[in-house]
Amino acid sequence: MHDESINPANLSQSATEPATEQFDQRIVRALETAPRPQIPANFAARVASELPARPPVTLTPTRYGQNAMLIGTVVTLIALLVLALPSTGHAAFGLLESLLFAEFLALALWLTVWRYGLR
Amino acid sequence: MQTDLTFEQVVRDHQDMVFRTLLRLTGSREHLDDLAQDVFLRLYRALPSFRGEALITTYLYRIAVNVAQDEWKRRRRDDRTHISLSDDTSGWEDRLPHPDRNAEQQLEEREFQQAVEEQLQQLSQVERTILVLYHQEERTYEQIAYALNMPIGTVRTHLHRGRKKLREALQQRQTQERRATCTTNQ
Repeated sequence: MHDESINPANLSQSATEPATEQFDQRIVRALETAPRPQIPANFAARVASELPARPPVTLTPTRYGQNAMLIGTVVTLIALLVLALPSTGHAAFGLLESLLFAEFLALALWLTVWRYGLR
Repeated sequence: MQTDLTFEQVVRDHQDMVFRTLLRLTGSREHLDDLAQDVFLRLYRALPSFRGEALITTYLYRIAVNVAQDEWKRRRRDDRTHISLSDDTSGWEDRLPHPDRNAEQQLEEREFQQAVEEQLQQLSQVERTILVLYHQEERTYEQIAYALNMPIGTVRTHLHRGRKKLREALQQRQTQERRATCTTNQ
C-alpha cells in the first residue's frame, strides 16, 4: 500500500475535515481492492501449448570479415607486384609501395593470429 | 520442451497479476482469457530481445497495458457496450469478506466499490491505467513511467488529475443520491 493520501495537496485541510479524509480513505481502499478474476485451471498449460515454434538457431558462423581480409591481402599483393615491375624510381611510387607493403604485412599478421586463435 | 515448461512456470507465477490488471483496465470479463493469453504470447515473442533492464513483472505490465489499449481500440471500432464488472453475478465484490461489519455497512461498501469502478471507467485510459497500477498494483512512479513509456512527471500529473476527477465524480454522485433520497422522503 502506498503511504499517501489521495489528495496530498490538501492534507492540512483534510486533517480538519474528518469526513473528507474518511471519504478519501474510502476511495483509496476501493482502488486498492484488487478484483479476483476466475482463472481457468489449465491456463498456463494452454498458453504453453500455443507458443509459436522458435526459429532454429544458426550454428554456422559467418566468415564475412575473414573473406574480406583474404581478398584484401591478395589485392595488396597484386598491387605491390604491379608497382614493383616498372620501377620508375619516383618517390611517390616508393612511398605508395611502402604503405602497401605495411598493409600487406598487417593483413598477413592479422590472418595468422586469427588462424591460430590467438586473438 | 524445456523452454515451454519454464515459460509455463512464468505464466503460472504472473497470471494472477495479468488477469486482475486486465480486468480492471478493460472493465470487463469478456475475452479476459484471450487477452491474458495475448499478453503472455507477446512476452514470449519479445523474450529474445528482452535485455533485462527491467523486471519481467514491469515488462509484463507494459505488455498488459498495450493489450488493454488494443482492446479499447477494438471496442471503439465495434462500438458496442461492454459488461460492467458489477454486472457479473459472480462479481468479485461479493466475495470480499467483511467479517467485522454488519449487512447494511457491507451493502454500502459494495455500492461504493461499484460506484468507484464505474467512475474509474469514465476516466481517460491513461488516468485509469495509472490509478490501477499505482493503487491496485502498488507500482512505483518509475515502474509506471517505464510501463507507459512516459516521463515520471507526466505520471504524477495524470495520477493527481485522475484522483481529483474520481473524487469529484463520486462526491457529485453522492450529492445527487442524497437529493434523490430527500425528494423521495418528502
